[in-house]
Amino acid sequence: MDNLIYILFICTVAPLVLMLMLLKKRAKLTVGYMLIGIFVSLFVSELNTLLLSLFDGDMLYVTTTITPVTEEIFKAIPVLVFALLFTDDREKLMTIAFAAGIGFAMFENMVILVQNIESVTLGWAVIRGFSTALMHGVCTAAVGYGMSFIKKRRKLFYCGTFALLVMASIYHGIFNMLVQSDYKYFGFVLPAATYVPILMQMYGRNKAKVQKSK
Amino acid sequence: MDLFLISNIITCLCAFAGFIFGIVKFFAPKKALYAQMITLAVGCMAFGRLYQVVRILTGGEILEEFQLGVLGVLGSLVFLFSANFGLMDSLADDGSKQYFKYRVIPLAAPAAAVAVYAAVFLFGDSPLLEMIVAGILTVFISGASYYNLKHLIFPDVDFGVINCLKTYNLLALVFEFLCVAEMVSNKSGSDVPALIIGVLSGAVLLAITPAVERGMKKWTT
Repeated sequence: MDNLIYILFICTVAPLVLMLMLLKKRAKLTVGYMLIGIFVSLFVSELNTLLLSLFDGDMLYVTTTITPVTEEIFKAIPVLVFALLFTDDREKLMTIAFAAGIGFAMFENMVILVQNIESVTLGWAVIRGFSTALMHGVCTAAVGYGMSFIKKRRKLFYCGTFALLVMASIYHGIFNMLVQSDYKYFGFVLPAATYVPILMQMYGRNKAKVQKSK
Repeated sequence: MDLFLISNIITCLCAFAGFIFGIVKFFAPKKALYAQMITLAVGCMAFGRLYQVVRILTGGEILEEFQLGVLGVLGSLVFLFSANFGLMDSLADDGSKQYFKYRVIPLAAPAAAVAVYAAVFLFGDSPLLEMIVAGILTVFISGASYYNLKHLIFPDVDFGVINCLKTYNLLALVFEFLCVAEMVSNKSGSDVPALIIGVLSGAVLLAITPAVERGMKKWTT
């Protein structure tokens, strides 16, 4: 089973790396961060297995308390590095953060798929695709969005980064709790309920920008 | 209905109201970073409480084991400490000898927090995890409460900004000691004190950002 995950990793990453070489600027950055997200997901899947054994296999406790923190920290590190080294441009940071989150979720879906190949259904795929994957994207994008603010205020940087990680971990933890409870439908809707207003606001802002430039 | 749930709902709603007030008032270009940090402190508390509400509603445990709601309190204390230590303290205290007593007297606040921790957790019968979590919270409560008490009694003769923020510092100090009271109450597991502390925390969190706004306005006019 372990080998299967690595086989999947190579099958997914290799063509994307080859494509990366042909891409330019923004597209290269986006696909690059998606690849980083996939790599982080592989690392975290190993770490989570270790953590699960440390907590005597208590899946519910680990997924609602421990993995939200580890996953959000490791997803945020590449975004933090980008913000520190290159830019505090909000649009760029949000794009790469969302790409990293989606890359992470894509590979996590594959890992869960091979671990539960007997029981997965079309419904499972729809939920994983539209809900869990979106949650990962939204959490990391929120960290990227917040980072564009706190990078500009040096004194806010350390505790601001801490606060962003706390908020992302708590949001992730709430989602994981809801989807494993009787209120699971609230959990499925939560990422979309967060994503749609952000999307509408971004469209509105872009539209206003275009009109202003005309 | 579970009193722990009611207590967390009250604190969560009040903290969200305070957080939204802060976002509207302070998150615009050229607004004071200090006020933004206080707003984020209230925001961390709101998110932490939201997690606890959902955890109780989904049948989880909030007292017996470590849970992410604690991170919300921790984040809140980190902001309260950084705001006063990093931004305000150097404006008032130039390190001169004449203010020595104003640097010593505020040590009473962390001393009280540490004394409660020692009596209840260190020398009481507490599991290791509970002792560690309460210990970490006590460290941050100590740091934040020292500066809040210091800025409450400090004679700010040069700039006057700290004088205008005395109400905020008093509220923050009360909030920090409510965190200590909550740690003690959670250890006993009784729900009535938890409800009282929850209501008081909610009221304080609701009042903090307006108090900062009033203080800032008073200083600039």
